[in-house]
Amino acid sequence: MVDFAKLYRKMLKVYPASFRQEYEGAMTRQFRDEQRHAQGRKEHLGLWLHALSDLAVSAPRELVRELGQDSRFALRVYRRRPVSAFIAIGTLALAVGASTGVFSVTSALLLRKLPFGNASRLVELRFPPFSAGNGRAGFAEWRNHSSYLESATTFSTSEMNLNSGRDSLRVRVTETSANLFSLLEVQAHLGRTFVPEEDRTGQNHVIVISHRLWQQAYGGNPSVIGSVAHLDGAALTIIGVAPSRFDYPGNVDVWAPTVFDFEVIPKHGAFIWQTIGRLRPGITMRQARQDFKADVARVNPKGLRPESSSVPQLVGLRDQLSSQIRTSVLILFSVVLLVLLTALANVAQLLLSRTAERHQEFTLRSALGASRSRIIQQLTVEATTLTLSGTTLGMIVALLVARVAGAIMPAQLATQEYTLLDWHVLCFAVALTLITGFAFGIMPTWLMGRVQPSTKVVRMHSGTSEAATGRLRQALVSLQVAFTLTLLVSSFSLGSAFLRLVHIDLGFKPANAVTLKISLEGTRYQTEGAKWQYYSAVKERLQSMPGVKAVGAVNYLPLSNSVLMAGSIQVESGPKVPGVVLNGSMPGYFRAVGSELIAGRDFGFDLGKSPEPPVIVNEAFARESGFGRNILGRKIISPWTPRPYLVAGVVTTARMAGPEYEGGPQAYWPVEEEPPSALTFVASVSGDPQHYLTQFRDAVVGLDRSVPVYEVKTLDQSLDETMERPRFYTTSVLFLAGLALVIAVAGVYSTSSRAIIQREHELGVRIALGASIQQIRTLILRQGTVPVAFGILAGVVGAAGCGLFLQHLFLGISVSGVTAFVVPSLFLLLIAVGTAWSATTRILSIDPIEVIRAEH
Amino acid sequence: MASSIKGIDELLPLSLPLFHMLLSLTEGERHGYALKREILQRTDKRINLGSGALYGAINKMLEQGLIVESDERPDPHLDDERRRYYRITPLGRRVVRAEVVRLRALVRMAEVRIGVPDPV
Repeated sequence: MVDFAKLYRKMLKVYPASFRQEYEGAMTRQFRDEQRHAQGRKEHLGLWLHALSDLAVSAPRELVRELGQDSRFALRVYRRRPVSAFIAIGTLALAVGASTGVFSVTSALLLRKLPFGNASRLVELRFPPFSAGNGRAGFAEWRNHSSYLESATTFSTSEMNLNSGRDSLRVRVTETSANLFSLLEVQAHLGRTFVPEEDRTGQNHVIVISHRLWQQAYGGNPSVIGSVAHLDGAALTIIGVAPSRFDYPGNVDVWAPTVFDFEVIPKHGAFIWQTIGRLRPGITMRQARQDFKADVARVNPKGLRPESSSVPQLVGLRDQLSSQIRTSVLILFSVVLLVLLTALANVAQLLLSRTAERHQEFTLRSALGASRSRIIQQLTVEATTLTLSGTTLGMIVALLVARVAGAIMPAQLATQEYTLLDWHVLCFAVALTLITGFAFGIMPTWLMGRVQPSTKVVRMHSGTSEAATGRLRQALVSLQVAFTLTLLVSSFSLGSAFLRLVHIDLGFKPANAVTLKISLEGTRYQTEGAKWQYYSAVKERLQSMPGVKAVGAVNYLPLSNSVLMAGSIQVESGPKVPGVVLNGSMPGYFRAVGSELIAGRDFGFDLGKSPEPPVIVNEAFARESGFGRNILGRKIISPWTPRPYLVAGVVTTARMAGPEYEGGPQAYWPVEEEPPSALTFVASVSGDPQHYLTQFRDAVVGLDRSVPVYEVKTLDQSLDETMERPRFYTTSVLFLAGLALVIAVAGVYSTSSRAIIQREHELGVRIALGASIQQIRTLILRQGTVPVAFGILAGVVGAAGCGLFLQHLFLGISVSGVTAFVVPSLFLLLIAVGTAWSATTRILSIDPIEVIRAEH
Repeated sequence: MASSIKGIDELLPLSLPLFHMLLSLTEGERHGYALKREILQRTDKRINLGSGALYGAINKMLEQGLIVESDERPDPHLDDERRRYYRITPLGRRVVRAEVVRLRALVRMAEVRIGVPDPV
């Protein structure tokens, strides 16, 4: 027969330790008594039901009461040693916060569902066999007969001037095939989206605007539907407003079904077509990739050659959206996890030493009748208080991290915004808290395993338990040192790569330069003469302002993220130079931007009259042509113009995309010859360029209000923006390495000083027997250095592995060469040895007489 | 763990089980199970304390200093030596009296308002 009383006794385990210790016996006995008195099945059943309901009500109440007492006691314990508690909580908060913050980015980009219907079936097709370039019929034919795609849409995004009737704005416009919204399964917030035929010429004079634009430019007025807006001068009817959370393909304000039509909104310069599709139901990604490759091979067999820079690829839409920052975020996440582990090792250290120090207290309490579970409960509560305060504070840090990350590496879509209020992130934070709490909660249990009431109360530092904790502490130090070294090596490499970037010669001088953009699309300046007249007027106006030293203008300004057009240029009686970026400039540009003319001269107005128009090439071009400076006076032929140009000057090579990327060959032709519809003006000024921004804008707007003037900023600002990510990665890794270093030093210090406390008696005897203090310090030091040395060895291996990934953060990072490893290793070793040595000053306080006397 | 410094008013009103337990203890020492049975009988089985509730209340009263554990056993032959007996403290008596006064005032006030006749 089942012993119900025994079963009942087992159930009592849900009560807190102290209560259980006190009343377990009485309660079980009472249950037995009641069982005896109960008659019949019904009464027995009633007894059980009553017991269970009683348990359900009273156990939580007792638990809360007792844990409350325990945590108040824990707070008193920590208040006695506030510094080490502060360090443990602080490092835990920083580490947990940083990892949760970075995880919120990871989650937003890689885990969160996209705000589109059936988003898992959406893919991007890179270099597909058909795109907008094949025309509407060709594209429709391809997509309708695809074996793996249910549907596909093609689009390109560019900046345009929007005239809403009142203001002139610069907006991002996505020109697309009519099915973009239906493919993404998105409904209009107001009005409607495009119908299938609306991307036909003649029917495509319609646009859908973003919720943001609707609010900002139209004040959220519903009567906007049906009204006309001008995009680069083209009159288009607004038929719908997109939902507020919709901004695909990112930061877009207007969608127009004009991707196949080159006339409605005139297209200029370079643009990139993107193609996305929805896979047929049941088709796996793998299968889709194979079908896609077969598709490409059928249409364009050369397209699949691996050496081509434009390899066709089919990727999930979420991966495509996050591709820019995906690797960086994963790297940062791993770095942060390393710091987290280091911090956890530190908290473990603290709890270990605390438990060891209070060995006497526990032995005494145990002898006075406290049950083992009572002591374990107390220790667990102490550990949980610590980790819980750390992780709670950590959430504030996480909030900051998410905010900083959002500013520096924003997600492409508004719905991918980094937030902690995301169930993945919340789960992560809760799991982290639970894991740390649990790990540190059971550790004391494991340590207390050997405490028995019968152990001698007087001799505390007895035997095996101490030796075991000693070994554990050394292992923890090795671990901390290894992680720290990995981080130090990484930050050393990142830091030196970053410094190289800062000091690199850009080929121009951003200091003291102010830039502003002007677009004449859709304005009254449409003829070449009118454009040139307007540009000349702007230049004159700026030049006449006090403090302005030089003014010029250019098609593509360095650091401005433009899509550049490149082609091959034939040097007369010389080679063909491939990949030359064609740029146009106004006289004075090179002086204004601080590029040096190393041969020849800048455009003058008279030069335009010569039979061959002049062109200025950069050093990279001169070098690749094989002529060097002797290119001066030679003729070159571009693929876009039939006439040859005469090389009139050679200018330094500008790093167009910022310090990370070397500048390629470029040729500047005088914009006067064929004024483009947009130009960027540059002026070099004396004094702080910030002071000129408003003045410049006002001066140019004053010329003609209908022309939008935008991106008025200093060139230094643009450089800062380009450097933002390298700077962010460098500072964050440096900061994390610093944090790890502090944590590891604390670990080394406490292990060494702990070792001395443990062996106080032995050391006292040694001193009494004539060993000098120096000898003993060296002995302790040697033992303290062993785990550090192991850690450094492991760290070197770890760092070498890490280096392979770091290179993805930004260009120019190399974790190789002796310095990258030796400098951080030596640094860490010196600090560790110094710390261990300073911990040994404790030996000086050992009085051998006292020690020996205590023996008797 | 006695913390009898607390004012008596702070301990009032007593919960019904607590009141009954203190009332029983004014008549003499009892062990937990005896308290439970007595209350059960006195209230016509309306208050049936589970062990958790019973010992939770005892624990609380011990902490508040309303009762103490007694060393004496009323009749060592009759009773199991392992059972623990509880005795009411002077504070406990004051508290239970104060509760009675409070209840009486409450009842009188209600009687005046709704006019309940005295039981014959």
